Amino acid sequence: MASDANSDADGPEPTADRDAEIETEVGDDDDQDGPDEDALRRIADRTPTRLGVGRSGPRPTTESLLAFRADHAVARDAVHSRVDDELLAELELVELRTRVEDADQYLARPDLGRELDAESRERLREECEPEPEVQLIVSDGLSSTAVEANVPELLPILRDGLADRGISVGSPVFVEFGRVDVMDAIGEELGADCCVILIGERPGLGSAESLSAYLVYGPERGTATSKKSVVSNVHDGGLPPVEAGAELVELIEDTLAAEASGIDLREDDREFRES
Amino acid sequence: MTNRSERLTSVGIDVGTTTTHTVVSRLLVETPPGGAASPEIADREIVYRGAVRETPLVDPETIDIEAVATHVAADLEAASVDPDTIDTGAVIVTGETARRENAEPLVHRIATDAGRFVAATAGAELEAVLAGRGSGAAARAAATGETVANVDVGGGTTNVAIFEGRSTDGRERDGARVRETRCLDVGGRLVRFDEDGRLSSISPPVRLLADALELPLSVGDRPDGETLSALAAAMADRIVDLLEGPPFDPLTCELAVGDLPSDPVSLGGVVFSGGVGRLVGSPPSEPFAYGDLGGPLAAALRDHERVRSWPIREPAEDLRATVVGAGTESTTLSGRTISLEDALLPLRNVPVADAGDLSELDGDALREPLEDAVARLRELHDLADLDGVALSIPAVGPLEYERLGVVADVLATAVDSLPPSLPVLVVTRQNCAKALGQLLRRRTDRPLVVLDELRPRGGDYLDVGTPIAGHRSVPVVVKALAF
Repeated sequence: MASDANSDADGPEPTADRDAEIETEVGDDDDQDGPDEDALRRIADRTPTRLGVGRSGPRPTTESLLAFRADHAVARDAVHSRVDDELLAELELVELRTRVEDADQYLARPDLGRELDAESRERLREECEPEPEVQLIVSDGLSSTAVEANVPELLPILRDGLADRGISVGSPVFVEFGRVDVMDAIGEELGADCCVILIGERPGLGSAESLSAYLVYGPERGTATSKKSVVSNVHDGGLPPVEAGAELVELIEDTLAAEASGIDLREDDREFRES
Repeated sequence: MTNRSERLTSVGIDVGTTTTHTVVSRLLVETPPGGAASPEIADREIVYRGAVRETPLVDPETIDIEAVATHVAADLEAASVDPDTIDTGAVIVTGETARRENAEPLVHRIATDAGRFVAATAGAELEAVLAGRGSGAAARAAATGETVANVDVGGGTTNVAIFEGRSTDGRERDGARVRETRCLDVGGRLVRFDEDGRLSSISPPVRLLADALELPLSVGDRPDGETLSALAAAMADRIVDLLEGPPFDPLTCELAVGDLPSDPVSLGGVVFSGGVGRLVGSPPSEPFAYGDLGGPLAAALRDHERVRSWPIREPAEDLRATVVGAGTESTTLSGRTISLEDALLPLRNVPVADAGDLSELDGDALREPLEDAVARLRELHDLADLDGVALSIPAVGPLEYERLGVVADVLATAVDSLPPSLPVLVVTRQNCAKALGQLLRRRTDRPLVVLDELRPRGGDYLDVGTPIAGHRSVPVVVKALAF
């Protein structure tokens, strides 16, 4: 279930003035092998990457340098800011923390981001329903911006869909400073059949709002990454969060039915592994 | 991860004014690595080209359906293709043949015979587009970024499709977008001669042209070369006007099929295809070899002062452009996230009503276009005979949980007036089929399919096949049934 951009799906139409530039008169039978003035623009139009931005002598132009620095600042903010407390209250998530103490330690010590601190383990036992079919986890990961942008749209349709299918979700939690594998620890503590973690991805210069959903069946600490499924690239320019929520419902249904996740879930991956 | 691929066998059958042909092709469907990308048709290979056969007629107004069916069966046998193994494709009845009394039963019969998911289609606009995709005009537009017109001149009609390259929308096939189509009742077989060179039939469009030119033409006459040249030149003038207008000559307007565009277009390339179009580049030694005006019309086009100034490009397919288009280009794939009830598929000949862009609408203003679309379906079709009905909703607005819920509420109510067992297809361009499907499912019990990343127009028909690519997509033929 790893994934890639389908961001072209609702990509922008060519703007009117771009169309207006397409002017080749009837009768203008020019050399077909001649230089194609528009080729670079056509390539650049197909990707959000910084192609053909020009330069000033050996340096970037002021405009593209400023755009670069602004985007970089947005990416840094996504890593260093915290998810809004009001949002967490609104979503009625039980708030937990990993053993990480601050943002700098989070970046330096991935291992600490996979384990809950003592207080959170206590809270998990006291406040969360044990042995749910699916334990839902939200975590800031590397982008709290991604959580704020996507989770409010994704979570309700995910909960609706699971409720429609009679799948119990226990008590959804939020984990501050979490890594993907913190779902193994949480799932093991609670005895969940399956865990789903909605986690902010490393921000890039294209989007700081990309979220991924990882899913594991039979979570226990140390579960290999290959045993995990992912729906990635969830953001407005990629897989819309509301559609990702509905897709996760089906993935969870398949996971529970097959009692498997990651490469164990997919027929074609099984063949690949055995060959 | 590697690309996963599967092959579909596709058949194309074109029953035209003059000739009937069959092609068999293989479509390679690839799902790019990663879960979020949609499967796409990555390659199209023609594996069999059937013989070009004269379209069999019982009389001038009636196609010999049995004889066409026999031709097609013989071609499939020659291609060593069992109809049960054909996955997709299209039968198109084109040109004047589409107006014969039994054209409609013909396409449905041939489509059903040819395979489990072969679409029955008819319509000048669709024909124009398929011919342009088959001739390579669309691929040329995509490769060069030029605006390219395909001019398919056949026995009964001339169909122009104008393609624009440089689409930035990844879902547009081959990066070429259809800008518009222009269709005209001008073709080589609108006049026929017997073995003695006497006129054996004159179709109404030619009558119109002859009257305008004050050329005396009657069945049984043996018109002189000058008269025929004048007639062919007049036909060529209409084709030139069709491409270079607007403004259009009143005669062109009278001979046009469907609407003519209101804006002129600058062309970077012109491709001729079709039985007569093919002769523009390679004239026959004997102009009347086909017992009609095809040869002289092609010659008149070739010698036309305006045509000489056009940037003419070689077609990849000429005579078979339409059938190759029908065989290789009629099938599209839905977006990857779809909401289905498998038991409903395949669905055939599902009429589409367009509810329009709902992005900015709320409350009553949101209800009206959906209710109007449903009312149009009820009004235009006998619902009892249908596999289903489709509502095209190009855009629902922001893809947010609350908004989709509002749209689902209104949509569920709007379709309530339809018979409860009638399947409803909801087709959106935005990537939200699973979410909308799930929300609708909570609001209605009726049979439901939601597809995304497609954009049929009102008046189109849809054929929807069974899922492919590991249940991630369905093959869809967006088509016309205009007789």
